[in-house]
Amino acid sequence: MAQLVFNGLVTGLLIALPALSLALVFSVLRFANYAIGSMLTLGAYLVYGFNVGFGLPLPLAALAGAILGAGLALLINRLVYEPLRGRSGVTLLVASIGVGIALENAVRFFAGSTTRGFDVEVARPLRLLGLRINHEQILTIAIVLAALVTIWIIFRFTRLGRAMRAVADNPDLAAVRGIPRTQVIRTTWIISSVLATLAGVLVGLDGNVDPQMGWNYILPVFTAAILGGIGNPMAAVAGAVLLGITEELATLVLAPHYRTIVAFAVMALLLLVRPSGLFGTPGVAR
Amino acid sequence: MLEDIVSGYHGRPVLHGVSLCVPTHGSLTVVGPNGSGKSTLMKTVVGLVRPDKGRVLLEGEDITRLDAPARARRGLGHVPQEANVFRSLSVAENLRVAFDFIPARSGASYASRLEAVLDLFPEIRPKLKVAAGHLSGGQRQMVAMAAALMPEPSVLALDEPSAGLSPKNAELLFVAIRRIVEAGVTLLMIEQNTRLGLTVAAQGLVLVAGQVKAHAPARELLADGLMQSLYLGGH
Amino acid sequence: MISYLVATLVLVAIATIAALALNLQWGLGGLVNFGLFGFYMLGAYVCGLLVVSGTPPLLAMAVAMLATAAVSAAVSLISVRLSEDYLAIVTLGFAECVRLFISYEEWLTRGTLGVPGIERPFAGWVPAAWSDGVFLAFSFACLLLSFLFLRKITRAPFGRLVRATRDDATVAEALGKNVLAVRAKVFAIGGALLGVAGSLHAFYYSYIDPTQFTTALNAYAFMAVIIAGRGSHIGVLIAGFSVILLLEGSRFLVDVIPFLDGAQLAALRLFIVGAGLIAILIYKPDGLVREYRLRSGAS
Repeated sequence: MAQLVFNGLVTGLLIALPALSLALVFSVLRFANYAIGSMLTLGAYLVYGFNVGFGLPLPLAALAGAILGAGLALLINRLVYEPLRGRSGVTLLVASIGVGIALENAVRFFAGSTTRGFDVEVARPLRLLGLRINHEQILTIAIVLAALVTIWIIFRFTRLGRAMRAVADNPDLAAVRGIPRTQVIRTTWIISSVLATLAGVLVGLDGNVDPQMGWNYILPVFTAAILGGIGNPMAAVAGAVLLGITEELATLVLAPHYRTIVAFAVMALLLLVRPSGLFGTPGVAR
Repeated sequence: MLEDIVSGYHGRPVLHGVSLCVPTHGSLTVVGPNGSGKSTLMKTVVGLVRPDKGRVLLEGEDITRLDAPARARRGLGHVPQEANVFRSLSVAENLRVAFDFIPARSGASYASRLEAVLDLFPEIRPKLKVAAGHLSGGQRQMVAMAAALMPEPSVLALDEPSAGLSPKNAELLFVAIRRIVEAGVTLLMIEQNTRLGLTVAAQGLVLVAGQVKAHAPARELLADGLMQSLYLGGH
Repeated sequence: MISYLVATLVLVAIATIAALALNLQWGLGGLVNFGLFGFYMLGAYVCGLLVVSGTPPLLAMAVAMLATAAVSAAVSLISVRLSEDYLAIVTLGFAECVRLFISYEEWLTRGTLGVPGIERPFAGWVPAAWSDGVFLAFSFACLLLSFLFLRKITRAPFGRLVRATRDDATVAEALGKNVLAVRAKVFAIGGALLGVAGSLHAFYYSYIDPTQFTTALNAYAFMAVIIAGRGSHIGVLIAGFSVILLLEGSRFLVDVIPFLDGAQLAALRLFIVGAGLIAILIYKPDGLVREYRLRSGAS
């Protein structure tokens, strides 16, 4: 039981990064980014390329992959989302589907559809307080927490972080206050894509690297973001942890491959009962 | 500051050749009945509506072609009528974010600007850590004005500051606005409440049906019977 | 060559029926359905399994239509209180669940082994050599009927009601229209069409397994609807034929571009689909054909 809760916590933290990324884009750009899964896949493959292709150690490869991924995210913003600025959220959402399809198939085109793994040494799991903990789990916890603290610091204490929150809160007033929207949007994409790449690495370490990997996470990620109240980045993290533990505990009664169905059931129930999210204030969500 | 402005929406002019000028360190309140074009005037000034004709000048420079953020960076401080604070940010963050992207013109530091602004609005000093959305309407207006004043704008444009406030809170707010005027900030205000609006400003302008009906020292307009007749549809 | 053409045209007909369904749900009703492939898969499996267990094909198809219609209506009710963004994820989530369920519940669906031996309608009366040709005609008859049916309901008062709830649900509600019921009906009718498309799929291949049902169908349908201009059924027909014919036809490229293998080419085609979707949104936002409107200005 404790093992399940622990595993669920780790799964939840894995979901937390893309969920945060999704909520961040939603809060600033006001659309649900369905390409989040493909951004995760792309990130994993970029890092895989640097790790296995160029033989860089994983941390360096992750750094290089994150930088390249952020560059690509900016390029996509320039080519796709900037020309569509001012259009409805649904138009942007359909565009993001297009981006998702294009990215996933770009990955398939260059890397093929075979399953791959990062070049890391496999270590034996630790035993602590009766829990079986493997190294990937420790790494996941450490990296996700570090990423969350970094994001929190950016939001609270940096100029662009405050500007992001201001644009999310009230874009018209932000313009009146001289906040450059373009720059804020670019920063949002950079952060969003770095989070997606990190998540891609962690998911790849936890399982495998394959073109479907991000797609498999779309539903849990959206569920987590909705749990937190979409558009509320930090609450998305809490939603993710809650969902991770629920999914893990559900394996007591359901086969593990039905996790997605658990996520869907949680989401359906939540949307019927409390659509503004567990932590949102009713009436604020659209 | 405004030169022969013709402005409106979708080719239907609301303002028909309005000219006005606020001298440096001066203050002007635009009053007029509903539908007279006050809001369109304000939107034209701050850059939300492009005039069909005429020019908008700020300190002698033509800013007609600039959009709202660019005008803000040129030193035009704007306090919109509604939704004029970031509700989820604290008061201190509201002030900070207003300073972040439009540095003070005199090169003053954030800390010194914060002190100067808080001296003008001592009411919000104890609320710095509170989320702006949790403040009362009058306090929110003060935060909005304080935020607009952070980068030392050359002109402060107030859009109906008394809107939505109780008479008592409106009185208190205008006490604060009087302090701004006395501190030497150039002020342009449109206001529904004629009496309050004219008591704090040096100059008054009466706008009716998109045209200037009177432009005189505010005190004279208040004393004059002209106001009464305008509102009663005379002339 | 002929058989290849027939195969492509059958696929075009199937995808265009799916596009018509999306056009009703999203184009007219404003309800985004990202789970098209899930409802389509459901239709194919209901139909396929019934036929294999001895039900006459046309009856099986009718049951599949009813089943997908009922399930569609139920799914649309989950997000009754919410905006389009949520319906999109709910339908997508549902589609994923359908796929998982079908992949793992082997006692019912034979899982990844697939369901073989699905008999086509009229199979007993048609000589084997004519089977494909007759089936092509049957597919086009289905497409034509779907189109005529949609055109009829769009021009009927129901169509106006659907557009009204799309444009402003609050006003429609205030006027005493039951927005909830309208949305559920729109989803149900669209679902029935997806059931038709799924059944045709099962008949045509006579063998179904979970890997056949991918989001490519989603992409085709969205492209067709966006190119057509949301709400125009005739536009969807034109766009469906031109786009899907082009994309399916591009399979030929394998012979022309020798240095790409089949998998790479498939990826390239889907990449173009994604990029095309975006390009249309940017450069042709209103589509080819304007939405049908009453001339009186009432709508």
